Amino acid sequence: MTADAAPARKEVVATAAEAAARISDGMTIIIGGFVTANHPMPVVRELIKRGVGDLTVIGSATAGLEIDLLIGAGCVRKLIAPYVGAELYAPIGNCFRAAAERKQIEVWECSEYILYAGLQARAMGQEFMAWRGGVGTSIPELNKDLVVFESPLGDGKEYLAVPAIGADWGFFHVGWADVYGNAQHVGARFGDRVLARAADRVAVCAERLVPNSYIRRNPVMTSIPYADLVVEAPFGSHPYAAHGFYAEDAEHIQAYVAASAAYRKGDQGAFRGYLDEWVTGPADHDAYLEQVGIRRLLQLEREYSAVSLGRHAPEGWPDGQL
Amino acid sequence: MSQPPAWSWKEMMAVFFARQIRDGDTLCSGAHTEISFCAAMLAQKSHAPNLRLQLGGTGFLCNLAGRPVSGGVPKTSVDYRIAQWAEGYFDHPETFLFYGPPGGGRRYYTDRDAYADHNGYFFADHFFVGGLQVDYHGNVNLIGLGGDGTFTMRGPGSVGIGDVITVRNMFVFMTAHDRRRFVERVDYISTMGPSGWREKQFPGNGPQWIVSPLGVFDFTGEGMTARLRAVFPGHTEAEITEATGFPVHRSELFEQIPPPDAGELSLLRDEVDVTGVLR
Repeated sequence: MTADAAPARKEVVATAAEAAARISDGMTIIIGGFVTANHPMPVVRELIKRGVGDLTVIGSATAGLEIDLLIGAGCVRKLIAPYVGAELYAPIGNCFRAAAERKQIEVWECSEYILYAGLQARAMGQEFMAWRGGVGTSIPELNKDLVVFESPLGDGKEYLAVPAIGADWGFFHVGWADVYGNAQHVGARFGDRVLARAADRVAVCAERLVPNSYIRRNPVMTSIPYADLVVEAPFGSHPYAAHGFYAEDAEHIQAYVAASAAYRKGDQGAFRGYLDEWVTGPADHDAYLEQVGIRRLLQLEREYSAVSLGRHAPEGWPDGQL
Repeated sequence: MSQPPAWSWKEMMAVFFARQIRDGDTLCSGAHTEISFCAAMLAQKSHAPNLRLQLGGTGFLCNLAGRPVSGGVPKTSVDYRIAQWAEGYFDHPETFLFYGPPGGGRRYYTDRDAYADHNGYFFADHFFVGGLQVDYHGNVNLIGLGGDGTFTMRGPGSVGIGDVITVRNMFVFMTAHDRRRFVERVDYISTMGPSGWREKQFPGNGPQWIVSPLGVFDFTGEGMTARLRAVFPGHTEAEITEATGFPVHRSELFEQIPPPDAGELSLLRDEVDVTGVLR
């Protein structure tokens, strides 16, 4: 074997469209982030553009309107999440609520740690995890996959056996990643590390594509090693926040909530309008950002920086003396 | 004609919560509401600088004592503003690794003072839960309205309120008080009332209070049922009886709750709720 025949490390950079193309009807996917932060929106939008359907979608422990959007666009058959909404922006996701009430989606009823227990079981190669939370509630009545059993230790306490929950792909939004798939969150990591462990394959959208040497400066920060795909996506969580980079776009989120509220009341027009304008309309993520506009994007960066004393929070968390 | 009170119902609730928090307690604020966030921040800035506080859902451990609240109260449970007061952090799933009470048994819950010198974060002396419905037994419902697996109204989901099995005191807080919300029996149970916690032998105590814009219930009734503990200033017992779908009887511990005093209000308005979201 000669030196120039030595195999090179595999590079995994892809576009959002290429990442979404890995998903076909009927698959199970995980969408990371938390409520109004760090959702991989370029991939979410591409999935809708492709018209993929019958998905089982696993949201985060407090899933946001990125899941609501997938439901409203008709991509979802089954939902695994203990909450869908955006707190004060929308206490309940409108499309989620409408689809659940009309029985257009199946809801795998759970709570936060029931979700984590199932993901952990998969990540550890076990058939189930035991957890006491949810005992005595309606959750095991509504979700027949959860089995109530009595502790084998003989103390008479009841537990839930939470079966393993896996996924074909998990999609996440991080601060930066290198071409080999080493991804680092900047700021909070939410539940992303556990969610990623339960997925057979992982794709990350990253605010910045950075050299491997930059990752090596602090390998402890590598929260998702060896992602299968890395999508460079500046402002990739818009309209939601990305820790370390920018605030959520309150105005855009409110417009989405208004459109989805009309959808819930049976008026498809405004929601279709939102999809046309913001999801299927823009040719790609760059075109989407162009439509959002540079002034708005800079304003969201400033709003973040005003509190964090600059981008890239871990090096610049403030001392509180503002 | 009577003057409108010099404080809002949200401010009254925040002040009530803050008064229940003792220095050295642990608190997880859970999902975002401006009321619970303000209450925790107010307590830490006034009388509880040693409050060990997980503010919001992402696992930032915060101490605000002597630190300014610039830009206002965080808008969401993942608002990056929370990090400006943080001195610790854990991934959200790791929050569940802070659940084992000191000693491992029930003693923490029956003799909290025996652990007064512990400085660890452990989940939690206080936790806030909201609900679509709450009932006479303190069961809380975030799943939806209807029954038998059907929904006339689908709720947001149970989040983690059924998971907090080691909590010492859960505040059930309702931001409106009427017979659709205060019911004899909830349609679905996201987390049980205190008698359910005892029956299922959970380590913690579960709900200890129901707090609404009108007043406060405890669970001193027979079989740990709800009893009227206090009426907030400006409201009446008759008003609460009219708005409640279960029998309203006074608690043996019924008390008068004073309105927010000048010191509480100025601290709340000038140093916590600087943008006036509670007004």
